[in-house]
Amino acid sequence: MKKIQKDRDEMAFSQIFDFFAPKINAYFIQNRIKIESSEELTQEVLSTVWVKSNLYNSKKSALSTWIFTIARNKKIDFFRKNSKTNFKEEDIREFLYQDREVDLIEENEAKKQIERINNELDEQQKIMIKMNFFENKSHKKIADELEIPLGTVKSRIRHILTKMQGFLR
Amino acid sequence: MNGTVVKNQLIFDFASGILGPAKSLFASTYLQLNSNASKIGSTFENLLGENLMDNENIHPKNLKYTDCIDSENSKPTSNINDPLTSFFGNLNNLNWKQVYKGFKEYTASIDDKDELKLIQMDPGVSVPLHSHGGKEYILVLEGSFCDEYGEYSKGDIQINDQKIKHTPIASRDTGCICLSITEKDVIFFGKYGSFLNLFTFIKSFFKPK
Repeated sequence: MKKIQKDRDEMAFSQIFDFFAPKINAYFIQNRIKIESSEELTQEVLSTVWVKSNLYNSKKSALSTWIFTIARNKKIDFFRKNSKTNFKEEDIREFLYQDREVDLIEENEAKKQIERINNELDEQQKIMIKMNFFENKSHKKIADELEIPLGTVKSRIRHILTKMQGFLR
Repeated sequence: MNGTVVKNQLIFDFASGILGPAKSLFASTYLQLNSNASKIGSTFENLLGENLMDNENIHPKNLKYTDCIDSENSKPTSNINDPLTSFFGNLNNLNWKQVYKGFKEYTASIDDKDELKLIQMDPGVSVPLHSHGGKEYILVLEGSFCDEYGEYSKGDIQINDQKIKHTPIASRDTGCICLSITEKDVIFFGKYGSFLNLFTFIKSFFKPK
């Protein structure tokens, strides 16, 4: 990433592209975006990484986190533009999703917390976090896919959130 | 109800990007004013970033890295650090509406199912005992207030549901300015309760669609 920031190194960028493009593309498809649009959005995300590489600060967040937030913001923007309700040009969300400058946690602190979370949560709980918050699936959909009752999904997700609260202090 | 779980849910939903515009503005202001909330948000974003790292691969068919270098088309975004000011402008210049003496509010015109309001209370002013039809989220922007459950100052958030009845009182020294989200109309009790309920009932007819 430093090579991209300093020297505008295209080969370094191509490595980031090769690693992240298929994962970002999968993220959009998991969020129920059609394949034509998902590739277009993937291009927009990685163009942003290239154009705004100077905004990335490795001390403040992991590269994957930075790229995730760009992809998430593109997703929000996409759904906003495609919502059936009357779309207004002026949506406040456009200027909300800036990088917060204040109080971002240091990278090693973040790593420690994520390790703790990963140690504490079992496989099914991790899958539920991914389905609920990464793929934004409804509780109903999660229940159908994991073949467990809806009430169980709700109580387990509540349990996970309570548990995570313990680590996030 | 465990208030912390509800607060975290708001932060997680914000990080996942599934909130409507009103709650998004609310949550992003909350993260800006409250460093603990901001840290939780960052941790959760890191967790979701890990999910991206470990995600399965679905290779784009018609995309090469050079496509992303050539298209220098992304428009420059302004570097807005304060979402609230960029949306409302200077709070003193707003067209505040007085609800009763010492209590003013300003309702944001946002196309959303949730209502976003600014509330300004003069020092020592209280709100009559009331409960809530849906959930209500209150974030203190300036000053402080207290109620039966505790004291809330700048960056603190209070989330109320149907079960909670409370009588907030603004600090005698500073008064307070709060940002609030209402999912459904508030139900008032007590002396002026029926009048205020009638008021919110009538007001609902004038809500722009």
